[in-house]
Amino acid sequence: MNKLTSTYKPMLFLGAMALILMASCNSHSNKKGSDVLPLIKGEVVAELTAAPFVPPPIDAKSNTKVVVELEIIERVMRLADGVEYNFWTFGGVVPGKFIRVRQGDLVEFHLHNHPDNMFPHNIDLHAVTGPGGGAEATLIAPGKSAQFSFRALNEGLYVYHCATAPVGMHVANGMYGLILVEPLEGMPPVDHEFYVMQSEFYTTGKFGERGLQEFDMQKALDERPDYVVMNGAVGANTGENAMIVNVGETVRLYLGNGGPNLVSSFHAIGEIFDKVYIEGGSLYTENVQTTLIPAGGSAIVEFKCEVPGTLHLVDHSIFRAFNKGAIAQIKVVGEENYDVFTGLQKETVYLPEGSAIQKVGKERTEAVDEAPVRTLEERMEKGRALYTQNCLACHMDQGRGVPGVFPPLYNSDFLQARDDKGIGIILEGLQGEITVNGNTYNNIMPAMQMSDDNIASVMTYIFNELNNGGGLLQASEVREWREKNQ
Amino acid sequence: MRSFGFNNLWLISLLWLYSALLYSQSGEMVRIKGGDYMPFIKGQTDQVLVNSFWIDTKAVTNADYLQFVAANPQWSKSQVKRIFADENYLSHWNLEQEGTGRFAELAPVVNVSWFAAQAYCEWQGKRLPELHEWEFAAKALPVENQFYDSLQRIISDWYSNRLRNNFEVGSLYQNTYGAWDMHGLIWEWVYDFNSITMNDDGRNQEEMPEGLFCGSASLNANDATDYASFVRFAFRTSLKGNYSLRRLGFRCAKTAD
Repeated sequence: MNKLTSTYKPMLFLGAMALILMASCNSHSNKKGSDVLPLIKGEVVAELTAAPFVPPPIDAKSNTKVVVELEIIERVMRLADGVEYNFWTFGGVVPGKFIRVRQGDLVEFHLHNHPDNMFPHNIDLHAVTGPGGGAEATLIAPGKSAQFSFRALNEGLYVYHCATAPVGMHVANGMYGLILVEPLEGMPPVDHEFYVMQSEFYTTGKFGERGLQEFDMQKALDERPDYVVMNGAVGANTGENAMIVNVGETVRLYLGNGGPNLVSSFHAIGEIFDKVYIEGGSLYTENVQTTLIPAGGSAIVEFKCEVPGTLHLVDHSIFRAFNKGAIAQIKVVGEENYDVFTGLQKETVYLPEGSAIQKVGKERTEAVDEAPVRTLEERMEKGRALYTQNCLACHMDQGRGVPGVFPPLYNSDFLQARDDKGIGIILEGLQGEITVNGNTYNNIMPAMQMSDDNIASVMTYIFNELNNGGGLLQASEVREWREKNQ
Repeated sequence: MRSFGFNNLWLISLLWLYSALLYSQSGEMVRIKGGDYMPFIKGQTDQVLVNSFWIDTKAVTNADYLQFVAANPQWSKSQVKRIFADENYLSHWNLEQEGTGRFAELAPVVNVSWFAAQAYCEWQGKRLPELHEWEFAAKALPVENQFYDSLQRIISDWYSNRLRNNFEVGSLYQNTYGAWDMHGLIWEWVYDFNSITMNDDGRNQEEMPEGLFCGSASLNANDATDYASFVRFAFRTSLKGNYSLRRLGFRCAKTAD
């Protein structure tokens, strides 16, 4: 963390040598030795944005006075489909509007409490060096405004929140947001910047219970939220409202965790963070799968979108994501890059009951063995073993099958009506609706990777033992069929 | 420039005042027997003795307040001193727009400062209730539904914005002391609204918010789970005597013999 001011203070006093060692409290500052604040030139009004958007950097060469106007509004909004909540907001949105200033800027903060509001509020910005982060200076009744100013001394991404008693209730109702203090020269360029903030809601009704939900103090005390959300509502940035980028573009996410209670294990399904500024500070690490964001804390992550698809931003405390709403999405659009990711190349069914490797689809295996001629007895003996290894798990003992799931092989009208003697089923598999002995089945049988010799044996067994009209099948017939249907 | 509009306003006001007088039953009081009670904010002693007192059964209405202004023009919108009432004083009173529904005769008067509320009570031979008196009266349960939960329900409904604005006084619930709508309708001024968190004369800014931010708030409270009380005390802390707020009204009280 860089700090602009360097306070000199005596660290050691060695009397005999009359030596005073002076030490700076910060050795990493890029403005080392400077204990004079930079001059402020001009004035700009900060552009504030609602999530997932981030305002552009301030366009001025030197430090400036940044005027921030933030209005507190209590309003009923959507928490989930069919679920409403009386949110307390900074700027009419949850999370509160994103504020962007630069290190060294003088921030003149104006906080307004809308006259229709019912409650007093204030603001504690973690970016502030000073008592209460502004909280004491800004406690205001509905219909009042407060103003205070601070120097943005430290770089970083900071949470701001309401700190009026009961603090937990104000935060639980939606009063948090992010303020970025970037270096004067700005953050390194990327193609897209987004703002995503996680938080929880504690409602009297269970997740999804319809209607206007009330804040439940007991659940908040127990730290048992019904909703854990990204950007203030279930599905705030999914589907049609997903963030959209193109293949090959770089993305920077300004991440926050409003809490009030939970710590976020932030993860992007389908992406690796190339860079993570840990806890929103100056130190970064690389190649991270999941980064921890404390309640009342932040992180900045960067990555390049190499392939098209949808990235799911989740709290990897995974029930929160799939059962309580903690998901946002980034849609990456563009050309496939098969060198990086192929998508599904092949789907095989893994059945430990069977010894043959099985496949779904038309792809057939090559004949790999000779085509010996065998007697009925030989084929029946071999076929019994093969049936037990490969067929029994589904078609059951004596080919009974499982009603409605796996068709029977015993006296099967379906099998007997085929002119391929079942060879095609084994080699190509079978899927879709079929009718066997008057009952319909809709399932998948994978193609079996069996030799011609083995197919001849198992089918011979099925014809005779399972009462399908008898007969002796030879490997040469299987090979013939295979060659004909290649 | 203002005089024409002002005269008009008063003509209409007076007409309206007489009609209001016909059915207004303002100022009815109930005697509440005193006793010990445990205040929300810890003091030097845990229990506080509240002496018996009278309190208005209902909050003061717009109709009531109009009578007061008619009799005391120094408290009219145009003549009130800014140090006694800020720019928002009676801002919902706009007779030219009567009928928009924002100004109902039997709705509690809001946008009145502490000074104005106290002056009204004095005009009636009363005073604002003290904080402990108000809290004592407000903790009584609804007559209709005497469970602890029922009061919490009214408060949480109110906080979560389930209740409509512009309720008439006496429409929500009566408690076992006979007072109406102590919660759920409006915030109410108390005589010593700044006594808990301000010291001395309340001019010491250093001390003002001490009790109600982050850490110290929970340390000073007797019941950290009583968030409704937290909210009331935080609300009072945010006030100054000349504030006139859209959700803040009052009722009067009197010391009992």
